[in-house]
Amino acid sequence: MHFSRLYGVVLLSLAMTGACGLAADESANTNLLEEVRLLRARLDALEKQLADMTARQAATTTGTILVATASPVASENVVAATQRGMQSFNPDISVIIDTFYHADSTKEGIGHIAGEMSGFGHTHAGGEEHHHHGVEDGFNLRHLELQFSADVDPYFTGSAIAAIDLEGAEMEEAAITTTCLPWGFKVKGGKFFSDFGYINAQHSHQWDFTDRPLIHQLALGEHGLNDKGMQVSWLAPTPFYLLTGLEAFQGDNENMFAYQGEDPLPSRSGPRLGVGWIKFGPNLPGRHALQMGLFGGLGNHQEAHDGQTEYPPGVWTPGGDGIADHWLDGESSFWGGDVVYKYDAPLPCGEGDFVWQAEYFARRKDLEMVGNDFAPALIGKSRVDTQDGYYLQATYGFLPRWRAGVRWEQVGLINASDLPDGTSASYGSSYRAGTMLDFSPSEFSRVRLQANRGSYETEDGREPATEVFLQWMISLGTHGAHNF
Amino acid sequence: MRTFFFWLGFAALAAGSTNQARADKLRIVTTTADLAAIARSVAGDAADVRSVCTGREDPHFIAAKPGFIVQARDADLWIRIGLELEIGWERPILEGSRNTKIRVGAKGHLDASEGLLLLDVPQTQVTRAMGDVHPMGNPHYWLDPLNARRIAGTIAARLAQLAPGHAAAFARNAAAFQQALDERMFGAELVKAVGAEALWAKTQDGTMGTWLSDAANAARAGGWTKAMQPLRGQKIITYHRSWLYLANRFGMSVSGELEPKPGVPPTAAHLTELAENAKSDGVKIILQEPFYSTKAANQLAERSGAHVVVVANSVGGQPEAGDYLTLLDLIVGKLAQK
Repeated sequence: MHFSRLYGVVLLSLAMTGACGLAADESANTNLLEEVRLLRARLDALEKQLADMTARQAATTTGTILVATASPVASENVVAATQRGMQSFNPDISVIIDTFYHADSTKEGIGHIAGEMSGFGHTHAGGEEHHHHGVEDGFNLRHLELQFSADVDPYFTGSAIAAIDLEGAEMEEAAITTTCLPWGFKVKGGKFFSDFGYINAQHSHQWDFTDRPLIHQLALGEHGLNDKGMQVSWLAPTPFYLLTGLEAFQGDNENMFAYQGEDPLPSRSGPRLGVGWIKFGPNLPGRHALQMGLFGGLGNHQEAHDGQTEYPPGVWTPGGDGIADHWLDGESSFWGGDVVYKYDAPLPCGEGDFVWQAEYFARRKDLEMVGNDFAPALIGKSRVDTQDGYYLQATYGFLPRWRAGVRWEQVGLINASDLPDGTSASYGSSYRAGTMLDFSPSEFSRVRLQANRGSYETEDGREPATEVFLQWMISLGTHGAHNF
Repeated sequence: MRTFFFWLGFAALAAGSTNQARADKLRIVTTTADLAAIARSVAGDAADVRSVCTGREDPHFIAAKPGFIVQARDADLWIRIGLELEIGWERPILEGSRNTKIRVGAKGHLDASEGLLLLDVPQTQVTRAMGDVHPMGNPHYWLDPLNARRIAGTIAARLAQLAPGHAAAFARNAAAFQQALDERMFGAELVKAVGAEALWAKTQDGTMGTWLSDAANAARAGGWTKAMQPLRGQKIITYHRSWLYLANRFGMSVSGELEPKPGVPPTAAHLTELAENAKSDGVKIILQEPFYSTKAANQLAERSGAHVVVVANSVGGQPEAGDYLTLLDLIVGKLAQK
């Protein structure tokens, strides 16, 4: 062990001197070269010493029996240490390539329907337009995910995940987590996915279906609830599994917790969103596992809408002219529950494994009109929107490496708006049924065929749509194990 | 909210009292049932031992259930096979448990592969095109009785660090386990006459076969050595590369696997190739665990004339295999029948 450590130090110093040498001038280079030569000689000597030692120890182990009665292991551990390969402190690095082909039966694309759905439609929150139109017909590269993670020191672990797509790179996660706190506490900070519910904290390559559940997509957008913030969680010392967490986020989710702060919207300092959740898992016998959760969140939300043109003033044009003309500010909240049941069959390669999961999500936006260029009388009036949705899905490993799955989703069972002018509106619900078949040649690759059939309540009436996905994804490098 | 905290407090109290009840015992959680069996032999009454895998399932494929996190949360010692056998599920359990005592590198984290001589350690660059290769060596080492003997010593030493007051008892228990193992391996008479260490040395340097060909020595041999004597020098085919250590210790060799590459299910083309080799190598036994399908093995048996032996490779995998010694009894018995 001492030798491998020394070896590592020597290598490290070699690398460092080498790196510094690039910037140094000519004379310094000569000195450095000399130094490198000396270090190399030392390294060779050490290597030889190490080889000798290993050989000697190998000889003793094959010749005699270690282990006996009183102090059996002392000598063996030395052997073990020299057997091991050189360890490094490099972080675990993995790359995930997630690509799919998509086709649908709609004229304007499935992303357009999602934007026009009654009650859930576009909010134009924040100053900038978001360019996430979801999937395109044809080939899609969802992203290339770069993951780095490692123990930082005895106290923290760090993980950084960058999602790169054709439009640029995005920091999906950059989080620091404690590993040293007593009594079951853990603190996480940085930018990360909220751990509420089940599917929100999963990365897209972990999902059992290619697309995000409809209610999550509509309520929280293409990225789910992922924000800068801090989380404190606690694993209770109960005889069953009980994990609870509180999260404070800056609050800049594009759909539900947006902040603009430009006049006439009031400026609000962060954190502007609080989330709490609790997960409970009874001790089921054998290979059964169950986890149930409840969650809720409350935060500030601001919307800037553009519904009317300036010339001539007051003419309602649904598309707008690109200039915001009325503003809403207030609170947005959500709550719901999730349940996951897994049967982990004893067979290899996922054969016989069964997973059933469901989530219910309800939201309420309680906003006040704080500015209106064309109808000043509405200033001070409130607007309340309530919506909900759920999904149910199940997958079954019917052969080694093969899984089949079905999903049923409904959104807008509650779908109502109390408008600032005193009127109310209520909209219908939409549903989507999906089915998928996937094949995982190994732990590191997967091909999936998925079909969706949906009927969507939109501003233009009811629209049916059929979609097909053919997804292909792979993972390179040391990809860590996934949570339950 | 108030009711919620009431119940939470209540639950915490309830948990506290259950923890209290076994506070005097060390709590050991192992990843596999074999490690649990050996740990139980060494720890005796001083510890409460649990295992994540039951012995009936493939340890490569385990879901990190919430219940495992609860077990790990309360553990004083976590013992794993290592060599990346548990790579698919160990980390979420350890991290989820928030138990600083059993983190990798802590005193409460024991990698049982420490101090073992490993097989199949790749000598060249590995890629995943080779299938599910374990870059640090073949992790199925527990079926080698000599490794079990060493693991008992490793566990005893670590337990002595965690509970110095019981150190003498742990050493005594480990020695008793080792002696029982020696006698099951070679027969009590031979152990007495020649000494266990000398006998194990013969199984390591490959001289056991010749030594036993002397009728005087063979007559004194008992236990697994005697039972496996007819199989010495034979070639066998296994499903996964999980019987290598066992074969090696008893002087057999593994001529091929039903899996074309580790972790890849058998294919028709591969079976055709295997059937040819099996005939030319004179393979009489196709050995596999109960959790794999026997379809491929039966096909190969039909084509090559070999016998299929299905037997648990882990404690608890079959009812008869209640602990480590009875597991080996079972395996040796099944193999010796053929």
